[in-house]
Amino acid sequence: MSDRKDDVRIKVGFEGHIKEIEVTLPKGDILPYQPGDKLAIVGKPLDRVDAVAKVTGKAKYSYDRHPKGMIYGRILRSPHANARIKSVDLSGALAMKGVHAAISFPDEMGSSEVRFAGQEVAAVAAETEALAEEALNRIQVDYEVRPFAVTKEAAMEKGAPEVVPGRANVVTSGRRRRESAEEFEKRLQDQKEKVDEALKDCAVTVHRTFETQVQVHCSLEPHGSVMQWDGDHLICYASTQATFNCRREAQSSRGAIRAGSAEVTTEYMGGGFGSKFGLGREGAAGAILAKKAGRPVRLMLERRGEQTAVGNRPDSKQEMTLGVTKDGKFKALRAYSWGTAGPSPFGAGARNHVFYGFENIDKVEHMVRTNCGQARAMRAPAWPQGVFAMESIIDEAAAKLGMDPVEIRKKNDTHPIRIHEYDMGAERIGWKKRRNKKPGAGRGPVKRGLGCASTEWFASGGGGSACLVRIHKDGTVEVRNGAQDIGTGTRTVMGMVVAEELGLPLEKVQTFIGHTTDPLGPGSGGSTTIGSLSPAARLAGYRAKEELLQIVAERHGWKVEDLDLKGGRVVSKKGKRLDPDLSFSQACAMIQEGAVEVTARRPIVSRRRPNYQGFAPTNSGVQFAEVEVDTETGNVKVTRLVAVQDCGKVINAKTAESQVRGGVIQGVSYALLERRIMDRHKGQMLNADMEMYKIAGPADIPQIDVVLVDVYNGQSNTGVMGLGEPPKVATAAAISNAVFNAIGVHITSLPITPKKVLEALARKEEK
Amino acid sequence: MPKRKDPDRPGEPTEAPIGRLSRRGFLKGAGLTMAAVGVQGPEAIGLGSSQDMEMLGTDPIDITLSINGTRRKVSVEPRTTLLDLLRDQLEMTGSKRVCNRATCGACTVLVDGRSTNACTFLAIDGLGAEIRTIEGLAGPDGSLSPIQDAFVRHDATQCGFCTPGMIMSCTALVSKNPHPTRDEIKAGLSGNICRCGTYQNIFEAVEDATRQGGAQR
Repeated sequence: MSDRKDDVRIKVGFEGHIKEIEVTLPKGDILPYQPGDKLAIVGKPLDRVDAVAKVTGKAKYSYDRHPKGMIYGRILRSPHANARIKSVDLSGALAMKGVHAAISFPDEMGSSEVRFAGQEVAAVAAETEALAEEALNRIQVDYEVRPFAVTKEAAMEKGAPEVVPGRANVVTSGRRRRESAEEFEKRLQDQKEKVDEALKDCAVTVHRTFETQVQVHCSLEPHGSVMQWDGDHLICYASTQATFNCRREAQSSRGAIRAGSAEVTTEYMGGGFGSKFGLGREGAAGAILAKKAGRPVRLMLERRGEQTAVGNRPDSKQEMTLGVTKDGKFKALRAYSWGTAGPSPFGAGARNHVFYGFENIDKVEHMVRTNCGQARAMRAPAWPQGVFAMESIIDEAAAKLGMDPVEIRKKNDTHPIRIHEYDMGAERIGWKKRRNKKPGAGRGPVKRGLGCASTEWFASGGGGSACLVRIHKDGTVEVRNGAQDIGTGTRTVMGMVVAEELGLPLEKVQTFIGHTTDPLGPGSGGSTTIGSLSPAARLAGYRAKEELLQIVAERHGWKVEDLDLKGGRVVSKKGKRLDPDLSFSQACAMIQEGAVEVTARRPIVSRRRPNYQGFAPTNSGVQFAEVEVDTETGNVKVTRLVAVQDCGKVINAKTAESQVRGGVIQGVSYALLERRIMDRHKGQMLNADMEMYKIAGPADIPQIDVVLVDVYNGQSNTGVMGLGEPPKVATAAAISNAVFNAIGVHITSLPITPKKVLEALARKEEK
Repeated sequence: MPKRKDPDRPGEPTEAPIGRLSRRGFLKGAGLTMAAVGVQGPEAIGLGSSQDMEMLGTDPIDITLSINGTRRKVSVEPRTTLLDLLRDQLEMTGSKRVCNRATCGACTVLVDGRSTNACTFLAIDGLGAEIRTIEGLAGPDGSLSPIQDAFVRHDATQCGFCTPGMIMSCTALVSKNPHPTRDEIKAGLSGNICRCGTYQNIFEAVEDATRQGGAQR
């Protein structure tokens, strides 16, 4: 069984749309879950296994670690947005009683260049936090201060200061390898002409410029770690979404820490959203301070540093032109965008051309350097901003043609799942009845509107992960992997797939995660964690079961291929009880060598294509929003949101739904509230806190209905696809379209504030 | 709700000074400290002349606080917040430090039943009060409070970092209002921020816990 390598036929699809395909399973893999499989655990809405630890305050986060003798680290940050550090004098800090170590970043990490206000300059470790804070005041820093630009508009002005000395402020992305500047120019010119030509044939052409803001991750547990040395060995408790990356960083000979060996522990972490893939400069500082002080150091960022220096979602300005034929077919798209990711230009693109298979696309992305904190991946990087512009302009085209926004999408969409999701969502929200047929047609000062938008993601997981299953003689079962749970329910879902294989209830399986001494696991990025881990866990569970049944078979003279584990008992393949009837623990008692122990790696097809062919290469969704717009105050209230979402096979319906709701809520917050504000005179972030950086609170939350579409996607033995990112992609666009439907004018800039609504209404009246 | 015992008010039920300091004695000391660093004299804050004051510096002082029904003798600098005392000295790390300025509610505890941001509440101000933290909600046998139990069943946690504060705010809410409406729940939680987006699950958990009544534990 375990050496299956043949081509097999599997069933893929979803209810009402199941088909058979032939796939080649990777060597040693087992069949994916199939429609009609009688699953006892997988798919059920079970409680999170670590919920009790979380609700009682017992869950130990990295911030909660307090090894004996621990002291406190603090970072001094530059007040200047563009500067060179000429010197750092630590003597004042070091002279203080209770200060055990002080370092300068130029000395320890090489660079004397300051690229944004808030960049790390020095750090101290002291007996108390208050002392450490005081010590920072005694550090003398001499800066050579330079002019700066903290908005992309300022950086693009003629004669703007160089954000990074010697480098152009604006970089056009997309130049291919070995393509000369002239060839690149020519290619862009060609695509422009092709789209110009295609636009001539369009019945309707809409041209609009959209803008989105910089969003800050604002993880509740800040970045940072507790660092403790044992000789050359570093013990690190990090708040991270990638434990193994952190270990690599600590051990790297080119890094700042250069530990002989390192272990990273992250049993619980308080949010990351893409910003916590490594130890970072604060982690390096903590480790170096701990080494110098000879004491464990806790260095967790204070809120201002957290908001300024450890990541954000880039902003965007997107000049869009959409050409549509008179029967509603999308014919051509022009999308020129500008965005800033901070001093390094990369990552400031906007994904706005993906869903509808345009034949003619003229897309150019410009990356603008600014003297602001560097962007990091944030829950679907580049997608919410691009999709906001794309889905908004589609609704304008639909209105011009007098078409239903759902119908125009269905006409152009070819995604095999999403094409059916439009109707599921439309029915749930009452689209036909409640939508204004003509945007802005509602009566009264508070106008209601409905809007929709699409989403897509592409993560079935990849290789590299392994999982250990250990069945003890006393009947207890351990499942182990060294990756972390970013809050999605990794611990629970890993346990569920193993419990399913062993025929046990979930509480009989104990899952351990977040220690790099356990098998290799992925970073929680790109919504790949569970797609990567669950096939390894399932395979390990399956093989552990085979080993256990082998022992039972030998003891009783049974054939192992006739046996199975179900309902806590050894049963026949058909599920019948045997004679003698054996419970799981009686079977375990036959283990001679202490334990059955299996480590299985996730089977992959190839490095380039880690999964075999399945139903669809991507997972998709559609969101419908209902809003109320007060035309007297400009206030927008999202009253309802329906999120139709597929994620391959749903392992735990309860945690999956929570994931979708969470993505939607971050989307509501992005659509209506959040915005980093930079002071263009001082170069600093003005709202680097949680009172002026607005995040959706309890009062801002609509009723969210989640419709999960359970898809047998094939692709891996669990067929799970990522769910962290896709629910965030469409929300702002759906809300913006609902506002358009309510008031008949599009707010083309996020966040949709009362001021922008009133201004748009005033412009509409002028017309 | 138990009445807060205030040793400063004659006629009110008064607890004997806890540790070696009374609340009044401490406040005087704090006033002098401020004078020493030139911020504000004791006269300016209405504490009378410095002559009748006990001299106390910034050094740690011994106090005894009542936390989750247990008297805990601790030594704190006067500037120590209740949150830092709980987390760093008493290893009660359930209350979280997030914004550290009373914006986000992750550090919410109950002080005489009132929801309080421990990050901006001095430990010494807890003298004479009954302090309750997330660690003190479950029964002695480990049984969850009705709110905690509903949080588990409704998956009202994701990363879990806001959870203890949310639960304390919910507990304060239902002790005053045993049957809150959805809007009252939203208002009751208006001082708490969740970044993962667990709000709706929290609303449903509170509604479920209060449906039968008796969620006020």
